[in-house]
Amino acid sequence: MKSFQIRSKMVSGVAVLYLKGHLDAHQVARFEKELVRMIKDSNYNILINGQDLNYITSAGMGIIMGYIDEVREKGGDIKLCALSERVHETFDLVGFTEIYDFVPNEQAAIEKFKPFSPEA
Amino acid sequence: MKNSSRFPPKPDFSITILSQTQLLKMVVELTRHIATLFQFAVAEAQKISLAIDEAVTNVIKHSYGNQGDRPLTIEYYLAPEGMQIRILYRGLPPEISEEEVNLGRMIKKKRKGGLGVKLMKTIMDSVTYRTVDGENICEMIKWRKTN
Repeated sequence: MKSFQIRSKMVSGVAVLYLKGHLDAHQVARFEKELVRMIKDSNYNILINGQDLNYITSAGMGIIMGYIDEVREKGGDIKLCALSERVHETFDLVGFTEIYDFVPNEQAAIEKFKPFSPEA
Repeated sequence: MKNSSRFPPKPDFSITILSQTQLLKMVVELTRHIATLFQFAVAEAQKISLAIDEAVTNVIKHSYGNQGDRPLTIEYYLAPEGMQIRILYRGLPPEISEEEVNLGRMIKKKRKGGLGVKLMKTIMDSVTYRTVDGENICEMIKWRKTN
């Protein structure tokens, strides 16, 4: 079984990325590829659901950092939801929690996108 | 004042691996196990292992340019006051900026790297780099919390 899995689906106009497992420098290319695919498909409201993510390093956080400006310039955002305490703390250690929107669960996060969604 | 002289002259445990990112998870689990066995709390052991992951990733990516056939050695030194971990490797010496990480500026520059050292320095009590006779040494110390 792969130590990191990623899947995505559209939920109410928001592109949701579901991350599962252990995201380190070895796995990060798959995460970046999926994120880039979403942006190329003009999905600028992106939610990263980390409910099943149990580990992340700066490699994964760096990908989010590398594309957030482009996404925000297009009127969208990258939000994160449902993170475990451990993963949330890792984001907090580098100061991400002051710059990114961390939401407790997916439904609440989708709601927060609505004012910016073209469908809204 | 605490310093590295409190640690034994020889490592209590060491491992030499090839510079392959697929081995990072093993290093993380090994480090976590050693830290836990050495009575660090689980949450603390997890953070220490994350710092080692970041340090080894930097070696593989930057010093060895992602070439997977280079050796690097991780040494663990244990003392009642804490734990010292050294990563020994050749390749390019590290370029560590002393400048404080500015996330806003990094976002504007669309940078994807530069967070690893910040994580290492935040988690560990001491992170130093030096090069001796062509061998690079990353030395990290985590002191045990005293009540």
